[in-house]
Amino acid sequence: MKTGNKSKNSFPYKVQITSLKEVAPADAKVCVMNIMGNESRRVTPKSHEFSRGNVVAGVQYGRPGKMETAIGDIPVYSRVAEVMKHHEFDTGVVYLPPAAVFYAVTELCHYNKKLKKIVIVTEKLSVKDQRLIRAVCQASNIDVFGANSLGIADAWNQVRIGGALGGDHPEQALVKGSVAIHSNSGNFSNTIAEYLKTEGFGTTTVISSGKDVIIQFAVAEFLRAAQNDDRTKAVVLYVEPGGYYEKQALDWINEGRIKFDKPIIACVTGRWKSNLSRAVGHAGALAGDNDDAISKEKWFDAYFGMDAFNPEKPVVSARGVRVTSIQHIPQAMKYVFRKMKKKPDFKPAGDLSLKPWYGNDFGLQLPLELKIPIVEAVSPHKEEIAELKKLVGAMPVRQNMRNKSSVSRINESTNIAELYGRPIVDLIEYSYEELIVYTLLRKVPRSCDVPLVNFCLNYLSVPDEETYGLLKKVRENQATPNAEFAMVTSMLGNRSDFELSQKYMNLFLDFMVETNLRDYDDEIDISLFEKKIKALPGHGKQDKRFVSIFLELVNASPNPSNVLNAMTKIAGKLKVERPDVFIITAILFHFSLPELVLKKVTKQNVADLYTYLAIIAKLTASGNLKGMKLPLISELENFKNMSGSFSRSAFEYTFGYTPDKSELMEFNTLLALTLTNGAGTISAKGAKESVSARNHISMAYTGFLSNTGLAHGGSGFEAVEYLLESFQKHTKRANIQNLDEKSVKKLAVEAAVKYKVYKEDQKTKGVSSYKRIPCINHPVFKGKSVNIDPREDFIYKKFKADGIRNVFWDFYHDLVVALYENGVSSNVYCVNIDAVIAVISLKLMWKSIVSGKMPDEQMQRIGFIIFLLGRMVGVSAEIIDHRDRGLDMDCRTPVKELEYII
Amino acid sequence: MKLTGMKFGAPILKLADFPIPTILDADTKYENIEQLLDKRGKVVVKPVFSGGIGKKGKAGLVKIVSSVEEALDAKRTLYFATHTFHNEQIQANGVTFEEFIPSSYEIYFNLNVSTVTRRVNFTLTHHGGVDIEELEEGQIIERSFDPITGLKSYHIIDALAELKAPREIVSPLVQYLPRLWNLYNDYGFTTLEINPIRIEKSGNKYVPVACDFKAQFDQDNPQIRRLNIPAETFYTNLSNFEAEINQLRTYQGQSDVAVINPKGTITPFMFGGGANSAATEVLSQKATFSSDFGGNPPYEKMYNIAAIAFKYWLVQSNVLLVIGGKANNTDILVTFKGIFDALRDYTRKNGKPEIYVVVGRGGPNLIKGFAYASDLLNQLEIPYKFFGYDSSMLEVIQYAVDVDDFLTEKKRQS
Repeated sequence: MKTGNKSKNSFPYKVQITSLKEVAPADAKVCVMNIMGNESRRVTPKSHEFSRGNVVAGVQYGRPGKMETAIGDIPVYSRVAEVMKHHEFDTGVVYLPPAAVFYAVTELCHYNKKLKKIVIVTEKLSVKDQRLIRAVCQASNIDVFGANSLGIADAWNQVRIGGALGGDHPEQALVKGSVAIHSNSGNFSNTIAEYLKTEGFGTTTVISSGKDVIIQFAVAEFLRAAQNDDRTKAVVLYVEPGGYYEKQALDWINEGRIKFDKPIIACVTGRWKSNLSRAVGHAGALAGDNDDAISKEKWFDAYFGMDAFNPEKPVVSARGVRVTSIQHIPQAMKYVFRKMKKKPDFKPAGDLSLKPWYGNDFGLQLPLELKIPIVEAVSPHKEEIAELKKLVGAMPVRQNMRNKSSVSRINESTNIAELYGRPIVDLIEYSYEELIVYTLLRKVPRSCDVPLVNFCLNYLSVPDEETYGLLKKVRENQATPNAEFAMVTSMLGNRSDFELSQKYMNLFLDFMVETNLRDYDDEIDISLFEKKIKALPGHGKQDKRFVSIFLELVNASPNPSNVLNAMTKIAGKLKVERPDVFIITAILFHFSLPELVLKKVTKQNVADLYTYLAIIAKLTASGNLKGMKLPLISELENFKNMSGSFSRSAFEYTFGYTPDKSELMEFNTLLALTLTNGAGTISAKGAKESVSARNHISMAYTGFLSNTGLAHGGSGFEAVEYLLESFQKHTKRANIQNLDEKSVKKLAVEAAVKYKVYKEDQKTKGVSSYKRIPCINHPVFKGKSVNIDPREDFIYKKFKADGIRNVFWDFYHDLVVALYENGVSSNVYCVNIDAVIAVISLKLMWKSIVSGKMPDEQMQRIGFIIFLLGRMVGVSAEIIDHRDRGLDMDCRTPVKELEYII
Repeated sequence: MKLTGMKFGAPILKLADFPIPTILDADTKYENIEQLLDKRGKVVVKPVFSGGIGKKGKAGLVKIVSSVEEALDAKRTLYFATHTFHNEQIQANGVTFEEFIPSSYEIYFNLNVSTVTRRVNFTLTHHGGVDIEELEEGQIIERSFDPITGLKSYHIIDALAELKAPREIVSPLVQYLPRLWNLYNDYGFTTLEINPIRIEKSGNKYVPVACDFKAQFDQDNPQIRRLNIPAETFYTNLSNFEAEINQLRTYQGQSDVAVINPKGTITPFMFGGGANSAATEVLSQKATFSSDFGGNPPYEKMYNIAAIAFKYWLVQSNVLLVIGGKANNTDILVTFKGIFDALRDYTRKNGKPEIYVVVGRGGPNLIKGFAYASDLLNQLEIPYKFFGYDSSMLEVIQYAVDVDDFLTEKKRQS
């Protein structure tokens, strides 16, 4: 290919640099154009400091000033002409936007006749400007690097000019050695230098050439300069498709036009780009014809006289070798040096094997070869990681949380409420105590920890005469259950044990940070632990029975944490204001530890756990109509059965008797189903708005409670009433669940016919707002010939499979069919989720109804209480969420959303 | 950004006042075709392709017809003709009916950036109309010239003298070819090729007429906008995904993507041209797309890119791979915030994706970026492994491939 231009030196164009020593010399004086731009502001100070102060000035059009660096300010001028009045420089660096680069280059060339080099960092320069820059600089005898260059550097001279080659710590990559690098990839300039260290090789000069269509300082001039650099023993070329630079260089070597006899390790990548018709990645890495990756591989293989390097059978030629991936460069270099009978520059530093610094498989059973253990990172990163680990717990960004929740949602496709991503129908398998921990800590407790959970809840639930006395008074005033409960929470305020527990928990959290406690099995420094506890004030009374149960439970646990084990050693001799609160706090810390480490919960959340637990326990006990006479209370006061199921306790508080297994299961189902219906319910909003007003946690519960009522939470009684009416014939029948299927069906048909008559009568009278049958049909699950509420359907089938019969439920299923068959409905309605609550509630209350001990208002009350017990647990998650993430007053409705009406 | 054919070339050549034949588009009236036939006796029918497509003649996609019926027949055949070029099968979308220019001479002329001279070269031969690679030395000439002063008449005269070109074609070429340089230089070309230029005798004058057009443009040169060519004209098969990502192309940071396998199971975010090359080769058909998001993209851009990528690819993916070398100036925290915030928001909307996250990276704010990402993945309970720059990038990519194999098999078994 003829060029038509003849030159007096080796090249048909001018190249001033004859040795790599001249690329980034120690005495280079640099002027940076657009020095105060975003990128230069970050990079130039580092370059200047690393190079011991080689930036003499900068230019910022129209904004003179200075750039501060750790080794003194760099003066900034408005234009190059001003710089020239005060300074001398021989190297220009250009950071300007593409459209301005050519003009900046001409300005540099025009005003500085002693300019030797220009480094253009800017990417996306037009090809036209590139060729004009070349023409101008060739005329001015200036060597250009780039465009799209991440800079040039010299490890011997400790100089970096131009871009961010080596990042914030160039000294890590730029270690003095004997290998020069010319790379089309800025990133790989750095990476290759790092990789070489693993076989004991450092660098002389590193050049990030850029990979635009025109590469100003290309392979030929690089190799010539490397030949004349006595420090450089070998070179590495990182090559991408596009352009004939490499062929040109190799041909000229073979022709003798340039002398080069040092080994080359060439890495050519980008075979796949031959399939592209447009550039992806580097603008210039789009081959035209015959300059694709495969062609380049052939050029190098022909030059080396051999195929690519095979790490399994390493062979190299005297001229070097081509590698297929950069990770083979160090090994290839090692063999090249051996062939030269030369030693590496230093002892190999590190290796390139897989070393994960972070990881978590979350129980995924990967095959052995993929289960790579987490290792300590290299310095300084290992120190950075250690610092960050001190920050325990999640740190969510605060934001306006009105109408937002990160804990609950209604799944758009299933229409089922979810708490922490799990549908509530999935949660019915858990006990009440498990649900409480799930809500507070986003995880269900381990089964071996459940007795401890029960211990805490049962203990905290033990009521007092004073509270029950007040509750009795409130009931006499016909307050609804939510008002009763609201009285309890309002009274709690920020009770002293709440504050104490926070203080105790902060001790545990500090201890966790100080001792880097991360795992249940981590050793506990007992003496340090005790020392910290000793610093706490107070000396409260210890109940030996409480301590004894705690010790018993921990010792019985198959897998307690070392924290709990440590507690067993000191529990009996605690000298703190409230030893019981301290022990409970320790238990809660034990539950929280994994979630803190995984940053799934905040420190604040963990510090408040005792408060949430105490309030939930207190409220659970508040529905008890038997007062202090309830046998359960006497048990708990005497520390009997403290680790028994809190679900059972909740049942007894609510119904006044001990449940059997099936009743307990149904009760738990009810509680799970009422946990949440999303953050949009007015009960959830009540809690969130109270948090938004910056109230104590107890008041947030008050906010929740005051936003429940007969229309929300207390409406379940309507369905119970309907069922009682339908089963009127059998209200004396204690064993109602034995009622045969035929009889249930008959009742359903009767109810359907009765309703038909009623409906027709109402229509005749022109009444459109006639009563609907509660718990059937649904605004979403309708329209098909047979409709199903998937939530109800799931639980119905589960109960059937578990052999649990509920005639009221069967009645509803028969009823919807009967309504259709009798022409009341045009299709078979679904039995909706509210029915589940109604039928289970009624089944649980049935015994008391039959014995005459359950007046109507009490039935309604129980339905409401069941709702409150479930919902208050779910709302706890919303309170935690809003306290963690929300802002003061964020629940205020903006004025523009309000309407004034008459 | 490439164009071929006179449908696009004719209006561009007009800007340089370079003579062109009459070009009719596919919907032209029969009378217009008849007029051309009356004038010349023949009409040339060619398919219209988007992008830069060559070797149409060799592939039998250029038809010279002598009647309207033949022209319409050719239209039917060529309108949606398919052509394989550079391993890609492209379909035409239309035809042009072009005036047949009789001539004894077919000139090949090309202006192109040469990486050998690092200037613009022109290539010229009067043995055009054929595959120029088949010409012997001495039949074709290539020369470079100063881009500041540009292509001048004397360059053309000197070249034609060296080629010993016939006298009659010298003057028309000397007059007109430099106009192509003006076009090339002022409208953001990197390649401009006319093959053939036919020399038409009109009385005593000889006029060069451009009978085909091939161009490549520099996407970084804003001068292209002066041509007002719609973006879709350049692309052969741009997918919706590619088109959406392309809209984010700004000065800072790359956002180049190319779909590799729409059924791929690894969604890779690659940073830097080097990582792009290496990762795309190793991942091969496992990758949904190839990418380069290097160049320190700002948060919003990274977030939007990730959101788009997740929208298209995450549901089918087993592995989310974030790979790059030791960055020099890309802020790892910023890019990771963008990617993982988008993952968090995707999860909120669509539920937790069944993926494994593999990261291999280095650079400024690396640990802050790793810590941010790991906190988020811990909350979402999405499994992950992060490798620093002291692990081989290729090994990290291979690890991602191995995890993908494992998960693919696991899904198959379940």
